[in-house]
Amino acid sequence: MISNKKHNHDHEDAHSHLPSDPELRVKAIETLLLGKGLIDPKTLDELIDTYENKIGPQNGAKVVAKAWVDENYKKRLLKDATAAIRELSYQGRQGENMVVVENTPEVHNIVVCTLCSCYPWPVLGIPPTWYKSDEYRSRTVREPRKVLSEFGVNVDPQIKVKVWDSTAELRYLVLPMRPLGTENMDENELAELVTRNSMIGTGLPENAR
Amino acid sequence: MSRLHDMGGRFGDGPIPIPRKKDNKIDNNEPTFKYEWHAKAWAITLAAGGLGEWNIDISRHYRECLPPRDYMNYSYYEKWLAALTNLLIDKELVSMSELKEVIDLVEKKDLNLNSDKSTKLDKRTWLAKDVQKTLGWGGPSLRKTNISPIYKINEKVVTVKYSPNKDINGGHTRLPSYVMGRQGIISSYNGSHVFPDKNAHANGENPLPLYTVEFKASELWGVSAENSNDSIYLDLWEPYLKSNNT
Repeated sequence: MISNKKHNHDHEDAHSHLPSDPELRVKAIETLLLGKGLIDPKTLDELIDTYENKIGPQNGAKVVAKAWVDENYKKRLLKDATAAIRELSYQGRQGENMVVVENTPEVHNIVVCTLCSCYPWPVLGIPPTWYKSDEYRSRTVREPRKVLSEFGVNVDPQIKVKVWDSTAELRYLVLPMRPLGTENMDENELAELVTRNSMIGTGLPENAR
Repeated sequence: MSRLHDMGGRFGDGPIPIPRKKDNKIDNNEPTFKYEWHAKAWAITLAAGGLGEWNIDISRHYRECLPPRDYMNYSYYEKWLAALTNLLIDKELVSMSELKEVIDLVEKKDLNLNSDKSTKLDKRTWLAKDVQKTLGWGGPSLRKTNISPIYKINEKVVTVKYSPNKDINGGHTRLPSYVMGRQGIISSYNGSHVFPDKNAHANGENPLPLYTVEFKASELWGVSAENSNDSIYLDLWEPYLKSNNT
């Protein structure tokens, strides 16, 4: 019935031999893999540089700002988010199947991954530490309003809170409401108002100055 | 029974560890990686995944299968490193004696990491020149199949009561325990996606219909729901669901 050689991995595992200092653990694994030619050191540099400098919430902010100024784009975004986001050249790993959920005067959306840390990399980058925390993962589905209030977002009882637990490979981006008083701002100025947390649902865009 | 990673709805966790600036405002711009070793642990895990010896569901399952004591004590990237170590051994990319040898050297600080730049790369190794191409393509889980979904939009369903993974006791599943045996409504159909319960055990992709299912907060949490108007949405595969005509 079970073809896996090591059944369920519920055994005394190799990881228990690792050094107690995590820096040394990384060094041990890195040394091993480099020594066996199983990783290319330049690949590590390229990956880190990409997600530190090129891919991050600034991408998602452009998607949101475009949706605020272009009603047709917004329609495409809500209908087929993956394709609409690809129009801005954001695509790929951990964003292969995107879904955009819209905040309205009646609905506030918030995204979580209770089982691990699923997050839309092409538009938001690598998730922040709090998103991956036990506190956020355990509490958001049971008491989203209390969690939101810790982020300074107080949702009126009349407004429906929708929690999206990303249990499959669909990745969610919240389209926040455009702040009032931004009628004269262009797309680039608007993108500056879109915070990362506003696209997870744990924040609101900044107000126009 | 579930494993520790399956923590949705659990009691006892404190305030969200939200980073704040000096003026107490929320810091939206903390660094991508807090420590250099976080970046390294993350990148090594991705690069090793690029060898093609395991899929994303297998790597998730290895993290979930860490002993509960370790799962709780380890920080996020420590879990990644521990799971990666076990994968490297189980997939025979590295032997136990090689692992112990390098750990010994590292602990004695008797290691010159940059000593051997001339190592010949394995033919499976993910090359730097291919990184952007591979990231841009990603690993889509959507598959073209001729399977028709059983359930319709707005249809009432109920989730199975026990782990839907019938092949393996304690096997991987993406049905969290907090929604097991609960009534929901089909909110959308998302096509057929690779089925993690099989894929995590290298038993093939078996793509199956994937739905987004809406659960009322009051259905999940009863009278302790914060607001009976609120809903929780999960993406669930067809074998996680049954018809509910009540």
